[in-house]
Amino acid sequence: MPKKIALGVLCAISLSANNTALEKRVELLEKKLQELQIQNTQAKYQTRSSSFSQNAYLPDIALILNMSSIARNIDNTQYENFAIPGFITTGSAQLPFNKNRGFNLNYAELALHSVVDPYFEAFAMLHIHPDHTAIGEGYVKTTSLPYGLGIKAGKFKSSFGRINAKHQHAWNFDEQPIIYKALFGPGSIGDMGISTQWVAPTDTYVMVGVELLQGSNKRSFGNTQKNNLTVAYLKTSLDITQNLSTLTGISFARGKNLFGGDTDIYNVELTMQQQFNSYSSLTWQSEALYRKRQNIATDAKQAGFYTQLVYKYNKNYATGIRYDGIVKNSVDDLQKYTVMAQYHPFPMSRLRLSYSYDKTKVIDGSRKNIHTVMLTLNIAAGAHGAHDY
Amino acid sequence: MKKLLLLLVTNLALFASMQIDTTYSTLGAIAKKVGGDFVKVTVLGSNKYDPHFIVPKPSLLAKLRRADLLIINGGGLEIGWLPPLLRNAHNPKINEGSLGFLDASQSLELIDKPTTVSRAFGDVHAEGNPHYITDPYTVPIIAEAIASRLAQIDPIHKFAYKQNLQNFKKEWSSFLTQFDAKMAQCSTKEVVQYHELFNYFLKRYNIENIGTIEPLPGIAPSSKHTLELIMLIKQNKVKKILQDVYHERKTAQFIAAKTGAKVVVIPHDLGAVGGKTLEDFYNNIASKICK
Repeated sequence: MPKKIALGVLCAISLSANNTALEKRVELLEKKLQELQIQNTQAKYQTRSSSFSQNAYLPDIALILNMSSIARNIDNTQYENFAIPGFITTGSAQLPFNKNRGFNLNYAELALHSVVDPYFEAFAMLHIHPDHTAIGEGYVKTTSLPYGLGIKAGKFKSSFGRINAKHQHAWNFDEQPIIYKALFGPGSIGDMGISTQWVAPTDTYVMVGVELLQGSNKRSFGNTQKNNLTVAYLKTSLDITQNLSTLTGISFARGKNLFGGDTDIYNVELTMQQQFNSYSSLTWQSEALYRKRQNIATDAKQAGFYTQLVYKYNKNYATGIRYDGIVKNSVDDLQKYTVMAQYHPFPMSRLRLSYSYDKTKVIDGSRKNIHTVMLTLNIAAGAHGAHDY
Repeated sequence: MKKLLLLLVTNLALFASMQIDTTYSTLGAIAKKVGGDFVKVTVLGSNKYDPHFIVPKPSLLAKLRRADLLIINGGGLEIGWLPPLLRNAHNPKINEGSLGFLDASQSLELIDKPTTVSRAFGDVHAEGNPHYITDPYTVPIIAEAIASRLAQIDPIHKFAYKQNLQNFKKEWSSFLTQFDAKMAQCSTKEVVQYHELFNYFLKRYNIENIGTIEPLPGIAPSSKHTLELIMLIKQNKVKKILQDVYHERKTAQFIAAKTGAKVVVIPHDLGAVGGKTLEDFYNNIASKICK
């Protein structure tokens, strides 16, 4: 009897020993399997192209096309000769975009961007207009300067104000705000020069910049015997809530005008954006500009503003309104109202329908209110970089 | 006085730490595990929003300006919002090519690489599907990449990072064992999803993706495509529709009503649907898909 018990005990011991051995092996196998799965997930070495191929270094190239179809209560010859009292004399308005009733091909643009080396990147915007081709922008920007500094050299759109540096295709309305058109003409401040920007190492975004430019904008400056335009600005941003962001800035420009005096221009900007979800937001954007010119008898001091509200309903649809006004001028009841609705079938394409009621123009010597209905199509094909805020 | 001193000392300690910015929250949690007390982690993109379309708020510039290390998801996921921010932050430490720039996708093999790339197919990523983070097996690989990068940027704490990595990998390995065991019990074998957000998870655990609610990546649902999808769901007897937090839910609910399949809201990133830890994130995905 005791023998049997002893045998039983022995059996039990060896069995449990077997069990633990088995468990150990299973555990080991599980570990191995896990390791293998991790290895499988890891990238494997691959050869990709021919030994001397430089294809990988091609710049990003994008094609931007902008066209419109327009209905207007003024015929084309009359429209070409409009004046804006105090700013634009009859026939001197440059109208490269959306000029004609009927159809317009506004421009084709080739945007090129590439990292040059570890220290520079280069950007060029070749602006191809039906009548001429121009280098809209062509500049080099540093990428590796310390202390939050960035320097840009070449021809570029000044970061003066809010809308000035933005490309036309990134605007929320097709037509330039009247005060910009009046003070700078269709190209805004896009000039040859050097810009230095500094981002402060603070929790709150603070950026200051100084630009030394040639001053080739004839509407406000225009004396280019040497580099005669200086622009300076300070911009800061505050998130009021996680979903409500703001950007404010003040800008100043001083340059020599064609009458031998100084032109000073001040700008205040404010943008507020409330985000509702990934694709929907409400954005309120406003700018006010004030110009003071020396050596000019009338309209030495002028001011105007625009304010706009844009509601993005979802990825595809958006709508907006804008109010433009000239508030300080020999004729100061100049206003323009615009509404628009746009449809993006995809982020790269946009159809926009807008209506504007423009009370800023003088045609054949008398004030003439202009109604315009415009349908524009804009596409950005190819390797087109993301837009900023 | 003592309190003041303590405050000062803790502040100094904060100054001494490495500032890590990550584009999304799961990457942030992994970075925190590896960096431990020597790092301060800031997540740039909200986990409530579409990771392709983060609003490039200027406040993010201030965060990038002071970062010592920027960890991105890669695979083209940030292409619509990060490049202009990076350009305007003027921080050479985190430029592409610098030690402070880490693209986590580059230590992984991406799946669903398209053979033909054209925007005619919608918003396809030439590099492959960038939503790898839903696979829990990518976590230790990313942790390893972060640890080795941190050791290069901050060599003084090299051993601490190595130790943190080892501890974390051990911890994660036992989590994976449990997790795999749980997934082995999962009865769901077929699903549909809104966007191809969960392919890595589904592939890992042999769950088949029958279709997507969007007809092409980044294109809103059409009625024609929705009807086709309903047919597919009925044919394959699909029980689960995987919905993320940021797309509209009407289409999924419509399909559910027509087919009897159930809509489950799955986190695409840590914290998108509650949960604070990495374990919570994956457990949440698993329980929503399997239950």
